[in-house]
Amino acid sequence: MDILFGLCGKGFVILAGDTTVAHSIVKMKNDEDKIKTLGPHLAMAYSGEPGDTIQFAEYIERNLRLDQIRNVHERRPEASASWIRSSLASSLRSRRPYSVNILVGGFDISSAAIVEGQEELGGTPKLYWLDYLGTKVEVPFGAHGYGSYFALSLLDRYHDPNASVEEAMGTLKRCIDEVSKRLVVSPSKYKAKIIDKDGVRDIEIPV
Amino acid sequence: MNSLVSKFSTNNIPKQDVEDNEEYSDSMWASSAGYATNGLPTFRLPSLQQPTDFLRLHTDDHADPSCRIKIKHGTTTLAFRFKGGVIVAVDSRATAGSYIASGTVEKVIRINKFLLGTMAGGAADCQYWETYLGIMCRLHELRNRERISVAAASKYLSNLVYSYKGMGLSMGTMICGWDKTGPAIFYVDSDGTRLKGDLFSVGSGSTFAYGVLDQGYHWDLSDEDAQELGRRSIYAAGHRDAFSGNTINLFHIKQDGWDFIGNYDVSKMHYDGPGNIPGAPGTGYGYEVRTNPEACVVAD
Amino acid sequence: MSIMQYNGGSVIAMKGKECVAIASDLRLGNQALTISCNHEKIFPVSDRVYYGLAGLATDVDTMRQRLRYRVNMYTIKEEREIEPETFARLTSSALYEHRFGPMFVEPVIAGLSKTPSGGVEPFIAAADLIGCLNFAKDFVVAGTASDKLYGVAEGLWEPDLEADDLFETISQTLLNAVDRDAYSGWGAIVHVITKDKVITRKLRGRMD
Repeated sequence: MDILFGLCGKGFVILAGDTTVAHSIVKMKNDEDKIKTLGPHLAMAYSGEPGDTIQFAEYIERNLRLDQIRNVHERRPEASASWIRSSLASSLRSRRPYSVNILVGGFDISSAAIVEGQEELGGTPKLYWLDYLGTKVEVPFGAHGYGSYFALSLLDRYHDPNASVEEAMGTLKRCIDEVSKRLVVSPSKYKAKIIDKDGVRDIEIPV
Repeated sequence: MNSLVSKFSTNNIPKQDVEDNEEYSDSMWASSAGYATNGLPTFRLPSLQQPTDFLRLHTDDHADPSCRIKIKHGTTTLAFRFKGGVIVAVDSRATAGSYIASGTVEKVIRINKFLLGTMAGGAADCQYWETYLGIMCRLHELRNRERISVAAASKYLSNLVYSYKGMGLSMGTMICGWDKTGPAIFYVDSDGTRLKGDLFSVGSGSTFAYGVLDQGYHWDLSDEDAQELGRRSIYAAGHRDAFSGNTINLFHIKQDGWDFIGNYDVSKMHYDGPGNIPGAPGTGYGYEVRTNPEACVVAD
Repeated sequence: MSIMQYNGGSVIAMKGKECVAIASDLRLGNQALTISCNHEKIFPVSDRVYYGLAGLATDVDTMRQRLRYRVNMYTIKEEREIEPETFARLTSSALYEHRFGPMFVEPVIAGLSKTPSGGVEPFIAAADLIGCLNFAKDFVVAGTASDKLYGVAEGLWEPDLEADDLFETISQTLLNAVDRDAYSGWGAIVHVITKDKVITRKLRGRMD
């Protein structure tokens, strides 16, 4: 069972996911990146039914890319998340629905999203929690999989929306450690991406 | 006509069963308060081939949500050992399906001055057997002129519930206390599992409690910080788990027996916190309250 | 576990004297797990018609988008604001379109309709998930706490309440009902629609 985490900080969002691909009792791969970059300031972490995850993620990735080629402007995170949601919702009532759970992390750089007095941040971090049914909700932090049962209470306690990158990575590390400590089949490795005004990039998880 | 009536009557219990029931005369209930005099309690069983199947048929609400008897579920309980003794903290919610049947359940059972038991799973099972355990612990004291150890008490309970395995008992409990060896916690459940440990949490909200508890726990916690950690962990579960909440009951076991620290409303903890007491953060526990207090000023 | 209980949440609407009120809780859950405490289920149609959707969150979102589209088309074609009665019929037919594969939502509609004399008349309605309308003269409820809401509202509601009394009545009804429901609560929001303004207030509810 895959585990995803997402948290907003001051001027950035971090997405993290484990890297194991399991099939029956076998770990097929242990360095899979479950976070896809969808645009200059947009990424999504996905988990769920094997096969569906990658197929759906690539469908979203290509369509958002096409949208950007057509319209030049990049779509705002809210609009992108909303479109991903409607894709999931219409898939739900199709012959074979995708079962994919998603965390969409974006950085809204539009002028409307620049907070007065915090111009140096260059926008607002956005995080959306989506499940395979097409439920969408904006959250300051979120998690998918069994990890959510341990991490959400932890984040209620330790998460700070005004945290620096180092502090936020420390909180993320707490979540990963807690899951490793308590979950029966806990994954060993995680990958994380950060999204801020400079775009999407990988970030090392502290040991 | 009479033969016809008796043919369709549903009440054709074999004669023998009726005689069995004679065993429970009123005088016996009055004299031994339901705990039979011969040492072990006895129970009436439905007069069927498989009483356990009958019970499961009518109580298993996962398989059949419209079943007749809904056993109360959902709880968060925790206990941990540290240098200052044992902290025991529980919520107080009882749910039957989605209905909150009670918000004032006592989920800590006071076995005696040195022993506490927590309650998760079937409320009646825990209450009955832990009270029964209290009787046995007192008898042990009278017979041996010394208090029973936590290990022995928990073993007693564990053996008892194990003898009923497969009959539908449902309990997940922590037997906590202070004995010659110092503070001790044993986890005992109706499967027959019995575990000695420093830190346990049991119930539907246990994962949420662990999330906070594990991060804040270490052996050298001060008394105040330990109490705060117990309180904060149950709040975390109350907030995130639909089947936990209402109030927190907090106990601290020290060398001279247990102390009841207090009863705290989970929602009051969310908005205001436990007030100006040592170890407390001074604000509400709630995420929004903690991070964005000015946005939380709304109508009462 | 019914699909209508998957995300939790409840909505209620009440009639007053020349005013109506509609309120909901703020929980979004994933069965027993609470995901968000800031999930609004009530949406405006115009400044005198509001509606709430209780049920499966994905369908709440989808229905809201569909209804917005239909109301916009109506407004453009008719060149006037939609009346609450009309909106109720529109909602009903939108739901019945999915008769054999329903949207898992129960709408609650509250609004003020215009009378020929130029005054306003309070209007409330609710429907089941395939669009059977229920026009009530007192209050309507939907969601996981609906049975509890009926009980409390039955005891607290009285006819011809003024806007502030109606606010108090609906608030107390909702807060006390959701306190007995495991899947609803975590804060609440109330809208009171009067003929010259809409008063919106968030309530401090139990957070467990």
